[in-house]
Amino acid sequence: MTSERWQQVSRIFNSAIALDNDARADYVAGQCGPDESLRAEVEKLIQSHQQASKENFIGGLAAEDGAALLIVDDEIRTNSLEKGQQVGSYVILDLLGAGGMGEVYLARDSRLDRTVALKVLSQDISLDKRRMQRFRQEAKVASSLNQPNILTVFEFGDVDGLTFIATELIDGETLRDYLRAKRLKLGEILDIVIQVLAALDAAHEARIVHRDIKPENVMIRRRDHLVKVLDFGLAKPTEKKLSRMGGEESEAATALKTAPGIVMGTINYMSPEQAQAHEIDERTDIWSTGVTIYEMVAGTMPFSGVTSSHTIVQILEKNPAPLTRVADAPAELERIVAKAMAKNPDERYQTAKDMLIDLRALKKRLEVEAEIERTASPIAPDLAVVGDVVDRKRRKKGVLAIALVGTAVVIAAVFGLYTWRAARVRTTPPESTPAVAPTERILTYWITVQKFKDDKPYQDPFTLAGEINFEASYQIRVNVRSPQSGHLYILNEGPSSSLPKLVVLFPSPTANRGSSLLAAGQLAQIPELFWFRFDREQGIEKLWLVFSEAAVPELEAVKEFTNHRQRGVITDTLKNNAVQSFLTTYSTTKPEAEKGDTLTTLRMPGKILVYPVKLEHH
Amino acid sequence: MARTPPQHEITQLLAEWREGNQSALDELYPLVYDELHRLARRYMSRERKGHTLQTTALINEAYVRLVDQKNVHWANRSHFFAISAQIMRRILIDHARRHAYAKRGGGAQQVSLEEAAIVTPDASAEMLRLDEALKSLAEMDSRRSQVVELRYFGGLNNEEIAGVLNVSENTVTRDWNMARAWLYQQLTGRGAN
Repeated sequence: MTSERWQQVSRIFNSAIALDNDARADYVAGQCGPDESLRAEVEKLIQSHQQASKENFIGGLAAEDGAALLIVDDEIRTNSLEKGQQVGSYVILDLLGAGGMGEVYLARDSRLDRTVALKVLSQDISLDKRRMQRFRQEAKVASSLNQPNILTVFEFGDVDGLTFIATELIDGETLRDYLRAKRLKLGEILDIVIQVLAALDAAHEARIVHRDIKPENVMIRRRDHLVKVLDFGLAKPTEKKLSRMGGEESEAATALKTAPGIVMGTINYMSPEQAQAHEIDERTDIWSTGVTIYEMVAGTMPFSGVTSSHTIVQILEKNPAPLTRVADAPAELERIVAKAMAKNPDERYQTAKDMLIDLRALKKRLEVEAEIERTASPIAPDLAVVGDVVDRKRRKKGVLAIALVGTAVVIAAVFGLYTWRAARVRTTPPESTPAVAPTERILTYWITVQKFKDDKPYQDPFTLAGEINFEASYQIRVNVRSPQSGHLYILNEGPSSSLPKLVVLFPSPTANRGSSLLAAGQLAQIPELFWFRFDREQGIEKLWLVFSEAAVPELEAVKEFTNHRQRGVITDTLKNNAVQSFLTTYSTTKPEAEKGDTLTTLRMPGKILVYPVKLEHH
Repeated sequence: MARTPPQHEITQLLAEWREGNQSALDELYPLVYDELHRLARRYMSRERKGHTLQTTALINEAYVRLVDQKNVHWANRSHFFAISAQIMRRILIDHARRHAYAKRGGGAQQVSLEEAAIVTPDASAEMLRLDEALKSLAEMDSRRSQVVELRYFGGLNNEEIAGVLNVSENTVTRDWNMARAWLYQQLTGRGAN
């Protein structure tokens, strides 16, 4: 159509649609005169106009119509690197792990010929330019402090759309792994937190807030137990206020609600001000350190609810049971932790240094008391408990020990305040200091059901403890949580008896970023974004839940099938059979299932829990 | 840190673009693209909880975050909305294109309990066809295609569009009716040309 023609058509069209039906035909005929094709053109447009109005064609917003595209597309994209692949000057050697921030690889820096840890940031984070900028800046400053307890960052890079961070490689474990592997003794706990606080003290001096202190961000070097605090500045900024958005929820609160345990990692270590998206400062790190100590001593997290909202309510309102009650902890430690976890930041330790001083004093006192205990009791040197709190190197130095005893006598005589008595230490069996190791696996699950009508969600979703007859129009989401940490695997077995086909649902690149490791209290939700729908084949779907203290090799071996192409279907027969036989072996003893209205709690003695949730659908 | 450089930068770029410097737009584009893309994704996760994606709220937020509020010229805001509408279109089209590609390439297997996508099968194709049609429209009548862009992709109402394009609200309404009828015709195959 030429421009003049177009203008002509639109002029007649616009006037015509303002008229009623009868007048319109006359008007169009009059305007077009003998030009039949013009009239046809205009009439067709008028028809289209009426149809478009009726169907509300592009009447909504593009972003709504294309909304799902945004998600689906991001779900597909994961940045997994292959061994031998080159990223800038780094050659990928192996995958070390995956977390909320992205994947961590063992890599070789070919320029400097050294081995590094290469963290490749997920798109979600690297696309956030401002956050990246702040992170770069803060990590650079933190790293330049040269504090031995802060992980050294070598380089930030951007290559082919990948954002990565090269850091010193630590041969060791995170505090999270450490806590899972064994119960820590009080002396070890104090050693670790004192180093964490030393790192924070240095960072705070440089006006850097970590924002995300938790066992996952603390590493312990194997060789000498040196503690390294990771990821300074990488935590989500919450200080921003978006109240201008009128009626919108604060960013942090929304992020928490919409992505429990996924985007944000665990929320259990967040301070009240963080959970409310208020401004935060150094004192938020004091809080999180308090929560971490509490967990190390008590063996459970102080704030852990069934859902994120429950956890937040606890963080804001609940005072956890005193450490002196839940574990055999010194009253002074309880005082320090309670002060660190004061809801009001003004009532907390105001600096990491103050908390550090108190913890160091406590450590020293316990060492002295243990020393007194050792010298006072003829059999004491063999007591493991004494070893708990005594730095072995010092114990060997008799001269120093005598000096310490002298100090202790003075402290005891002058202050005489402490309730931590040597007698109490002696009567406590080593294993129960501070708590008893778990001998059973506990797992809670519930199922969220969303009804669908004409491919659209219909009515509000509801929650079930499991096992009803599901209609074909029901779409579901499976939620799993445990007060314990461990390795979680979820598989689906379809109703077809002729084709025993297993599908891995968890972990996957989009579920827990490919890691089977579930933190205590962390919610695993699959699928994370959409819903599962049943296929046409009717019958009983089994959802196999496996929760194990250690990683299960048979199940780790089938994680690779959870890519976008294979969609979790275990196509390798040998691997499929290995999983089948694992499930058969471990499901002969059924866990005890305690069914509530909305959730089921499973308990199983031992270290592995296997349970098939049955979903019957028609 | 009183104010971050990007805010200054973006405010400056907007001013330059308003004064007719086209290369300012080239610099502005990727900055706004990144921010809008990130926000859209965040809004999308909110979507799951039953909220709807409000483009204007999203662009507003990007605006508040990117543009220095203290030194802002009144016209900056409408210019920002104009460029944002264009960018939202680009973001969605980029995604639609990738999605259509992934669908063609993926030999997906039948899974017993499968993850249901909310996307209707043709959402991506539909979006791409609309984009093509809009391009044809822009060749004949750039103002009408801009009205569609601002309204459908940018989420602006007629009054705001009138402000951005410096025309009357009536003109916006007329442009919209005509453009929509024509696009509908193109997409439903009723158009002869």
